[in-house]
Amino acid sequence: MSIGAVVSDDRSAGEVTTTVILAEEGPSAQPPQEPRSLTPRPSRSDSIFRSVAFAAGGATVAIMLAVGLFLSLRAGSALQVTGFGFLVEQQWSPETGEFGIAAVLFGTITIAVIAMCVSVPLALGTSMLISEVLTGKLKQWSITVVDLMAAVPSVVFGLWGVFFLQENIIPVSRWISTYFGWIPFFAVTDQTGEPLTDASAFTSSAFIAGVVVALMVVPTQTSIMREAFMQAPAGEREAAYALGATRWGMITAVVLPFGRGGIIGGTMLGLGRALGETIAVYMIISPIFSINWQVLKTGSNSVSALIALRYGEASEFALSALMAAGLVLFLVTLVINFTAASVVARSRSGAESEV
Amino acid sequence: MNPLKHRRTRLVAVLGTLLLTVGIALPASAATTYEPITGTGSTWSQNAIDQWKSNVATNYGMQVNYTGVGSSAGRRDFIQGTVDFAVSEIPFQARPEDGSAPEVSPRGYAYMPIVAGGTAFMYHLVIGGKRVTNLRLSGEVITKIFSGAIRNWNDRAIQADNPGLAMPDKAIVPIVRSDGSGTTAQFTLWMSKQYPNLWTTGMTSQFPTPPNGKAQSGSAQVAGYVAQGYGEGAITYVEYSYALEAGFPVAKVLNAADYYIEPTASSVAVALLKARINTDPASADYLTQILDGVYNNADPRTYPLSSYSYVIVPTEVRPDVAPVFTTAKGATLGAFASYFLCEGQQQAPDLGYSPLPMNLVLAGFDQIRRIPGAGSANVDPNSCNNPTFKPGDSPDKNQLALTAHQPAACDKRGPAQCTTGTAGAREETPVSGKGGGGAATGGAGAAADGSAAGGAATGDPAAAAAEAAAGGAGGAVYDENGNLISDGGSTVAGAAIASPFTVGDNGWGWEESVMLGAVLLLLAAVALPPYLSQRLRRAEATAGSSSSGVKR
Amino acid sequence: MSLTTLEQLEPDEATSEAEARTAVPVKDGIEVGPRLRLRSARLDDRYALLGAVAGALAIAILLFGWIAPLSGFVGFVVVAFLCFIGIYALLVSTTSDGREVIDRVMTVVLASAGVILGTALIFVVAYALVRGFPALLHLNFFFQDMEFAGPLDGLDVGGVAHAIVGTLIQIGIALAISIPLGIVTALFLNEVGGRFARFVRTVVDAMTALPSIVAGLFIYSAVILVFTHQRSGFAAALAITVMMLPIIVRASDVVLRLVAGSLREASYALGASKWRTVWQVVLPTARSGLVTAVILGTARGIGETSPVLLTSGVTSVMNTNPFEGPMISLPLQVFDFVRSPEPNIIARGFGAAAVLLLLVLALFAIARVIGGRGPGDLSPRQQRAARAASERDVERMDAAAARRLAASAEPLEEPQ
Repeated sequence: MSIGAVVSDDRSAGEVTTTVILAEEGPSAQPPQEPRSLTPRPSRSDSIFRSVAFAAGGATVAIMLAVGLFLSLRAGSALQVTGFGFLVEQQWSPETGEFGIAAVLFGTITIAVIAMCVSVPLALGTSMLISEVLTGKLKQWSITVVDLMAAVPSVVFGLWGVFFLQENIIPVSRWISTYFGWIPFFAVTDQTGEPLTDASAFTSSAFIAGVVVALMVVPTQTSIMREAFMQAPAGEREAAYALGATRWGMITAVVLPFGRGGIIGGTMLGLGRALGETIAVYMIISPIFSINWQVLKTGSNSVSALIALRYGEASEFALSALMAAGLVLFLVTLVINFTAASVVARSRSGAESEV
Repeated sequence: MNPLKHRRTRLVAVLGTLLLTVGIALPASAATTYEPITGTGSTWSQNAIDQWKSNVATNYGMQVNYTGVGSSAGRRDFIQGTVDFAVSEIPFQARPEDGSAPEVSPRGYAYMPIVAGGTAFMYHLVIGGKRVTNLRLSGEVITKIFSGAIRNWNDRAIQADNPGLAMPDKAIVPIVRSDGSGTTAQFTLWMSKQYPNLWTTGMTSQFPTPPNGKAQSGSAQVAGYVAQGYGEGAITYVEYSYALEAGFPVAKVLNAADYYIEPTASSVAVALLKARINTDPASADYLTQILDGVYNNADPRTYPLSSYSYVIVPTEVRPDVAPVFTTAKGATLGAFASYFLCEGQQQAPDLGYSPLPMNLVLAGFDQIRRIPGAGSANVDPNSCNNPTFKPGDSPDKNQLALTAHQPAACDKRGPAQCTTGTAGAREETPVSGKGGGGAATGGAGAAADGSAAGGAATGDPAAAAAEAAAGGAGGAVYDENGNLISDGGSTVAGAAIASPFTVGDNGWGWEESVMLGAVLLLLAAVALPPYLSQRLRRAEATAGSSSSGVKR
Repeated sequence: MSLTTLEQLEPDEATSEAEARTAVPVKDGIEVGPRLRLRSARLDDRYALLGAVAGALAIAILLFGWIAPLSGFVGFVVVAFLCFIGIYALLVSTTSDGREVIDRVMTVVLASAGVILGTALIFVVAYALVRGFPALLHLNFFFQDMEFAGPLDGLDVGGVAHAIVGTLIQIGIALAISIPLGIVTALFLNEVGGRFARFVRTVVDAMTALPSIVAGLFIYSAVILVFTHQRSGFAAALAITVMMLPIIVRASDVVLRLVAGSLREASYALGASKWRTVWQVVLPTARSGLVTAVILGTARGIGETSPVLLTSGVTSVMNTNPFEGPMISLPLQVFDFVRSPEPNIIARGFGAAAVLLLLVLALFAIARVIGGRGPGDLSPRQQRAARAASERDVERMDAAAARRLAASAEPLEEPQ
């Protein structure tokens, strides 16, 4: 329709444009020897459009800045009390003035890192499979399914995590801790260093939350990576084949270097979402306020789960403390997003990767 | 004309149906003459309130929104003026013992008792594939469990409380509340009053998670965790009704008269006869409870952890701090309060709570009169259909307490242990030996105070096994991990026996070497033939080509 | 693509009068051989695959059942998979060289990643649907609220109509704010530009990093605690707006950026003003993309629980007034239901999750029908419309040309 519309609309728009031209030619009484100004005087509709657009942009920025400023101001009153200690204190007790997000932020990052360890290989493999191996109907179908999965609400993943995964992943956790317990992360021990084998030692762990969050972010990542891979120029692919490369050879020589921006961008965006995920994590973890290196062992925490847990009973000051925690999370996500954006901007691909 | 148009019509049809749904559903809410009221707070009393709000909606068209977010959050919501009423187990904390900031409500308020109940200890314990339903615990043991001092179910002290059970070697997982909770406050208050040397944190709404424990938010979540398959070995503190609902047993708790008592409606009612109520109407804490008498109530029917829950109602309309509350809402609140003080209490025992006695109902009526706009609510005790008193009764009587049965003899502290189940799990748990008598006849150091079942009482498993073996017919036999293998003089069929198991040790012996060798051999058997044939073929090919090269 | 469709109709119409314009290549008489099938698997490849599967299973069973003290389903799967890769590589290596082996093995690895991911995701969704199915069987689930349903009532009483209505109202308000604001802001970024626009873009980019719970916390402390003093549907809608606005701005920005510059230039060259160009060239061209962006943003906004958790409040009754009293939405209702230990309530929770999923699925399907195309890329219906329009144009132009011809011919004739 658009082209047709353009063709016919030009005609209907013609009247308008003529009036504009007439309006500009109106003061044609000017002496002809003076050079005509090349910058057009905007018509009334134009200036209205400009000011409306400007106002909308201003309103959007105002809303966003209001959020940012409000957060920073309220967070400031809590941060004044603790200062730098906010980043190193593990306890969370704003009423007594002893609070910090060391343990909470550690938990948040642990969960996000576990999520990335699970999701990135899967996303990478699947996106390459879709863009390079699959063909025809199957390819279209898988693209649709992956895109659809990106829209599945997080509470659905949370349900699955709590009611299915929590119970069924215990043997996996136990298996890993039994055979890879010599790696400190995978050990599950009590205070005295004795290995634990009870089922309840493996529930509500950062690992389970990480797996659920991984499944939540993996469709987005896959989608972004696939788009980057599919944009690899056909000429270069054919050149690689013509030089005798196998398909994998072509992928390593052409697709992967070309799609590097998409890989990094997708990973970072997934990381950003994993850091901010609330409900699924809140439903799964058992919150603790100490740093727990044993990811398979019960007990972890995350900033957003902490906010969801404590906002209701928070006094004025405790709310400020929660906002300070939220602000730190926001800044971490911001740094990740801007890093991703700059990496993507400098690469050949992935310009289309957006949230 | 084309499929797209069809799709559009279908879309319109779907949207139309949706709008129709809204239209149908609308009149239902419009039919009420009461203004809807909103409250938040305790999950301890949530089961009762949920039932009542559905009852008043059906019978009177009253709309009550209640969200169980925890007592602390409820009180905070009331302070911030975002709700019409709040429900909490403890009053506003003017001087919180854990040093937090005082809670001050900017608008006038009053406490009104809503329902009584027992804070129960719901647990999930399996011995030999059979679920235990008759666990008994003393207050000291409970305190030690939740402070992390006792970490295993076969601890000597737990075994002493349960002479009829062969306690398994299983880690205890205490499940505590992660949100600010009135249940936690009641429980920690009890521990700090009764066992100040074991529980040093004092009363707090935020339970410090023990190192071997787990934290979940809300009563339903802690109960839900215990009820899961992976919750084996877990124990939590929660209102009795949650255990009933989940179909799980609760521990009988030792009272001052040396009886282990389950928190039923009558045992709570008996216990609360000794509750002192602040009856000074001038005090800000008017009608709040002082529970020291309950904890040490000498009546053998007492459940020591009994308490009331409160609804905090506004006594003034303050548009500046709480624009939500109006006199119209006050009228609804008054009618709702009148309902739950009288009629609603009928259902309390079925739901796992205990009905409020007359003195509290009368005091509650006084509070209803203070709610702005609640003038028309029924405050006549004679037409109040409360199960604890009849029309014309005096305030100090409690019909429930009058009719309560004395506890069974097997619930007394001693070598005998009742087999009947508790709370939501009524099936019997057979006890080993004649109520623990096996140990007494075995005589391997078992004292008369009921620390039974031979070696389990001693900490050292090896010694226990030896001792049990030496104890002969009457003693229980344990393997080296402290698991019961056979309990000698068991006379009850199907007695709860733990099956022995060994934790694989990670030592590397000759067996492991042989296994590794076998695995390597197997892999070699699979991988070598193709590899060798390839090598041979290649060697032949190169030989062939080189020889042909020579020929040329 | 649309240009070619326009070209295509020229030959039918115009070949008779102007053959010089376009010529259809004549393909008759050119021999076309059988189409080559590239990348089809050879027979021995398939046998290698099957053999590797059989061998891996056999080894894993041997290891787990007889030889080593291994146990556990996961361990079995891991060992079997590793064996499979090893055997497959070995089998391929008997006929091919190293690079070929790596190629085959990597293809298998990629395929397994895809299978694992696909199975897991579909399982997650199917799990919610299947467990929610008992609740969905009762029609009252869609048409009643929970006002009269106590904790112990069966599934034949009560439903989630109030949550469905709440969701629609909240997302409706959020869209009413964020669509105009978002799209006009995107137009500002693209069509007006300037230093301020760059600043706006940076701020919007930054705000896409805002965790959704923080958006909820902002509305809770800045709106609820300060102004309204109660949780309400409107507050929830505001929280969703704060979360959704940067997403919609950014997605629309990307779509608008894809509108070909030549189209704009053509419009300007014809003398159209900026506003005319935006209204009649840029927006129609980007329409399907914009709709897709908005719908996908909506799907995110509908499904997000954390902003409404703090702002909307929980209720079990229908509330159609967004400014007064709590108004629950589907995700929060799911969250609220599944916290209960009661099996019936949990079944309702899964049912509500299934309804939410179906809602998102429907939105996604609509987005696919309307959008899913690049700017200027037309659906068959649009192509037909465009073709009809240009047919009319050709007729009109021919008629005009004929008239002109006649008119010019007549005056020529007259003097004679």
